Amino acid sequence: MAELSHRWGSEKSDGSPNLEAATPRTADGKPDFSGIWDTPKNRPCPPDGCPDQEVSQEFVNFGWSLKGGLPYQPWAAELVRARREQNGKDDPGTHCLPIGFLRLHTDAMYRKTIQLPGLLVMLNERNASFRQIFLDGRPLPEDPNPSWNGYSTGKWEGDTLVVATNGFHDAQWLDRSGSPLTSDAKVIERLRRPNFGRMEVEVTVDDPKAYTKPWTVKLDLILMLNTELLDDNCLESEKDIPHLVGK
Amino acid sequence: MKMAALAAISLAASISLSAQWLNYPTSGVPKKADGTPNLDAPTPRAADGKPDLSGLWLLEKNLPCPKDGCADMEVSREFINLGWNVPGGVPYQPWAAELVKARREQNGKDDPGANCRPTGIVKETINPFFRKFIQLPGELVILMERDTVYRQIFTDGRPRLLDPLPTPNGYSTGHWDGDTLVVETSGFSDGVWLDRTGNPLTESGKIAERYRRANYGNMDLEITVDDPKAYTKPWTAKVKEFIQPDTEMLDYFCLENEKSISHAVGK
Repeated sequence: MAELSHRWGSEKSDGSPNLEAATPRTADGKPDFSGIWDTPKNRPCPPDGCPDQEVSQEFVNFGWSLKGGLPYQPWAAELVRARREQNGKDDPGTHCLPIGFLRLHTDAMYRKTIQLPGLLVMLNERNASFRQIFLDGRPLPEDPNPSWNGYSTGKWEGDTLVVATNGFHDAQWLDRSGSPLTSDAKVIERLRRPNFGRMEVEVTVDDPKAYTKPWTVKLDLILMLNTELLDDNCLESEKDIPHLVGK
Repeated sequence: MKMAALAAISLAASISLSAQWLNYPTSGVPKKADGTPNLDAPTPRAADGKPDLSGLWLLEKNLPCPKDGCADMEVSREFINLGWNVPGGVPYQPWAAELVKARREQNGKDDPGANCRPTGIVKETINPFFRKFIQLPGELVILMERDTVYRQIFTDGRPRLLDPLPTPNGYSTGHWDGDTLVVETSGFSDGVWLDRTGNPLTESGKIAERYRRANYGNMDLEITVDDPKAYTKPWTAKVKEFIQPDTEMLDYFCLENEKSISHAVGK
């Protein structure tokens, strides 16, 4: 029984996969980002052992790899300090609200990318939610209804897919530290798949309201084979919120 | 006057630009001679020759509007009661009939959907929001506008699970019976409401869906509920779905600016 259950997530593979193999390509010759992706667990475990769900450094602090960290404006630095002091109790994700379109790349849950002609879909295991990135040439909306995921379009620059997003609102946190993103920000994601097993997402945030200068963080994603997404529903059997107590 | 005209022009310009997101033309829509979509065109086919169910779909709105006008969001009869058209009525087990009566008396205030919790595949299918079908080799993905959630139906031949972790959506596999996609789902968690009436689905329930895309614009769907714990025999609902060309889904999150729950008061 256990083995049958297990097989939902582990179709039998013949031979070990070659993760260094060439980038797969779609019929139009462009790199194909399709696959299940995860964030490398690059955060050392505490001395008493790893938690059940290991998270990445970027999940905790989006700018941890930047010298000096994220270039917060004074009010933003103050806000992040206050949010940390409050144990991040107001994190939207903790309250079962969406985590937003950039945290999708740093989350500890699987993402499945589906590349179609004219559309890139990202299925996020968290809350069994999806994000659409349109590649069909439509313009970004001029004055859209603000949302967590915003409105995303992508265009190719050689083998790089350049994704622009607008129409997101002020409420999202970029990380568990509570780094803000304001609705004035210009956000560009540059997606590359250098080989079969890896995807790179270079995120550039230009948000003068919250940061003193534009900043860029490169995220490396790794391909997950012979597995599958399971439905996660934050509000089902929710046990966190009463334990999240600030000062 | 001039100012008003200018304002009207600039408003029109901004509407048309904003509208390009929601009115951007869908590619590959067959057209009639006059340029309008030909919804009677033949069923599109995937590379393997099977019908391609891909597209944006909406359920038929078959509930007559009240005398004082239609609601902003019109729902189907099935959304209210999936079994409204079952000959002889829904074949409840006694406890289930009692439960539905009690849920109706309480104005359905404990409906998981009304409380922003997952509604499960059946209610997701009969709600009045758009659904985008993406048919891939080995898988059908359905993106649902309501709560921006997805559902996966595996058509790659993987075996059914014997003892899965129960979830509101369960675990779906599909196979082709001629030109009909037959989807089997089990592994549900207890507490799923099939519809607003509160028809229950138990952990031992099975749902079978039969999708048949009759032509470009029309899809017929039969939903069979086989749940001996709650019903004395299996029963089936038949619904129609219509393709929605040249439009798109918007993100919708029930928990965002939620205003309903406090008004959902029982007795």
